[in-house]
Amino acid sequence: MEGFLSTYGSAIVQMALAGVLALSLYLPLMAGQLSLASPGFYAVGGYVAALLSTRVFTGFPNGSYPILLIALEMVVAGGVSALFALIIGIPSLRLRGVYLALATIAFVEVLRVFALNQPWLGGAVGIYNIPQPFFSATRVEYLLLALPLLLVSTLFVARLERSRIGRAFVALREDELAASAMGIRPTYYKVLAFTIGAVLAGMTGALNAHILNTWNPRQGTFDLAILILAYVLVGGSRTFLGPVIGGAFLVALPEIILREVADAPGLHPAIATFLRDGRLILFGVLIAVSVFFFPYGLVTPNLFKRRRKTNVPRLEAAKAAPKVSRG
Amino acid sequence: MSGVSLPKRLMVFALVALLALAPSVLLVQAAEEPIVIGVAVAQTSNVALFGQEQVIGAQIAEEFFNERGGINGRPFRLAFADTGGDEAGAINAFQTLINRENVVGILGPTLSQHAFAADPIADQAGVPVIAPSNTARGIPQIGRFIFRVSAPVSLVAPSAVKQALKMNPDIKRVAVFYAQNDAFSVSETGTFQQTVKDLGLELLDVQTFQTTDTDFTTQITNVLPLEPQLVIISGLAADSGNLVRQLRELGYKGMIVGGNGLNTTNIFPVCQALCDGILVAQAYSYQYDSEINNAFREIYKAKQGKEPPQFSAQAFTGIQVFVEALSRLDKRKPLKDMDLVTLRAELRDEIMNGKYDTPLGPISFVETTKDDGTPAGGEIVQERFYVAQIKMDPDGKTGRFVFLD
Repeated sequence: MEGFLSTYGSAIVQMALAGVLALSLYLPLMAGQLSLASPGFYAVGGYVAALLSTRVFTGFPNGSYPILLIALEMVVAGGVSALFALIIGIPSLRLRGVYLALATIAFVEVLRVFALNQPWLGGAVGIYNIPQPFFSATRVEYLLLALPLLLVSTLFVARLERSRIGRAFVALREDELAASAMGIRPTYYKVLAFTIGAVLAGMTGALNAHILNTWNPRQGTFDLAILILAYVLVGGSRTFLGPVIGGAFLVALPEIILREVADAPGLHPAIATFLRDGRLILFGVLIAVSVFFFPYGLVTPNLFKRRRKTNVPRLEAAKAAPKVSRG
Repeated sequence: MSGVSLPKRLMVFALVALLALAPSVLLVQAAEEPIVIGVAVAQTSNVALFGQEQVIGAQIAEEFFNERGGINGRPFRLAFADTGGDEAGAINAFQTLINRENVVGILGPTLSQHAFAADPIADQAGVPVIAPSNTARGIPQIGRFIFRVSAPVSLVAPSAVKQALKMNPDIKRVAVFYAQNDAFSVSETGTFQQTVKDLGLELLDVQTFQTTDTDFTTQITNVLPLEPQLVIISGLAADSGNLVRQLRELGYKGMIVGGNGLNTTNIFPVCQALCDGILVAQAYSYQYDSEINNAFREIYKAKQGKEPPQFSAQAFTGIQVFVEALSRLDKRKPLKDMDLVTLRAELRDEIMNGKYDTPLGPISFVETTKDDGTPAGGEIVQERFYVAQIKMDPDGKTGRFVFLD
């Protein structure tokens, strides 16, 4: 078990973070908006943490950077991301569907080119030597920060789904015209969903800057946007558990599951080599297959409904009873 | 007794086939356990073009040095782990090599950005790392266990200017052009401008452009009246090629030194016959005449059917450094008597103290220090760099880099 943790510590932490990133894209999607801006806010959050920890909160020897300061950086990163989200969201959320997706891709690209050209952001090399809170080679200690982040954001989104705001999001997704006719302000709720998503992405970026020990313009690019979209689509886009499970699964698949299977004893060397070298091919095939067989994702709300089915007939019978007696 | 049934016959056949194939495997197991050296480079993603060349270089080294007796008779084997194209992948690859493959050291990663993420992990675990292609500032300063065999821009670039002076000692007046929006070009031009000042030349003017530009007439007409004798360009291939073409078309007759962006045949279709004569400095030349480079070049050509590129040569050099340091250490203190932690720590010091005759020429390492003055890893000391001059064929379509002495 210890060997497993030291080998895959970083991958396990990334699984948790992928879940939060997936939630950040899931939120606008809840309100019917396909936004690919999450990597942009993720990049902003990373730079905020990188700048704060290397320029402002200096003087801590390696391995003893206070965890509280990282938490503070995450809060600041979330705040800055929210500000960005408001500035960008209000005009761009007037766009719909594929046009919004394009606008958000442009935003991500603008950020990347901006970072590339700013000497104070370190240019192409970026900012490195980001201080570490743990003196460890495994990175598994970061679960202390990543797991609470995942848990809190999952609980938050779970509660949100059941609240008035969450239902407004879903109403907008199902039919914007009908929703606005019923008094739901589309722009307000869309920007709200977009901004909450941005906060989650920003906080993830801040944490990951410490985990990766470096931050540069290659973080949070269009590639990541597609990956996050895959987390949500493969996991399921109709309940909060979908993105969380999708993110964890798709990170574990190439980095842990396929590597472990390749190392299984008794496997033909050719198959083991293919599993190792061709794991990204398998990864792609599995995504394609899962979308084909589970078009609504692996986790759908029906999964939970079916379990409750036994109770439903009794309730319906109870409701139906008065009608019968009246007749 | 010919009544052996078909399935049984098949089984016998399979057994024979297995036995025929098995000895190679069995022999290795019977001999001493090989020493494992890790290779973590980008075998997938958009960095894989470089990573693949590094894999080839490392594999040639594995074959070559094992044939020559490995580490004092004990064979070594390379364990490959793909870093992919991102930092998280590099960290995962390093952790797999360190904890699962129990490597004595790691060659990698491909990009400097990945090194800033993954190297601290190896450093904290006390595993020596040799970077085959990281040229950014601050790589050996990551930690005590980090080395590189790839000379940074600041060391390579000046040699092209010195070569130009060698070819024309009258050069005094220099103009510099650089792509403002490319990080590498910005840092490279800093080195070039410093070199110009250090050599006592007159820096007439510094002009900037964008890598996306196609029209450079404004910048050129600003510079030409100052009558430069040498023009130094830092940019990417397409823009630099166009800049060279327009410089020549507008009547510039002097010498041109190009940065690393011009170190590619991709500029030939852009400036065609006008590319002729550009000087570019490199860390490796396949024409470098030494026993080890000739051997490496021959194997590479036999396998790939072309001249070895710099990335393969540097990867080969990295493995060579590991093998030679391990062999020296083994003679001093037998490797089999040491546990892995001690072995890695001893190997680090042995690498630092050695001199190596490699395909890049003779190299050694100098210990660097971190900002706070504590000792850090080893920076390469490379005795020679190589300057190539572009020679275009008369048709202006094809050409080649000719290395100068």
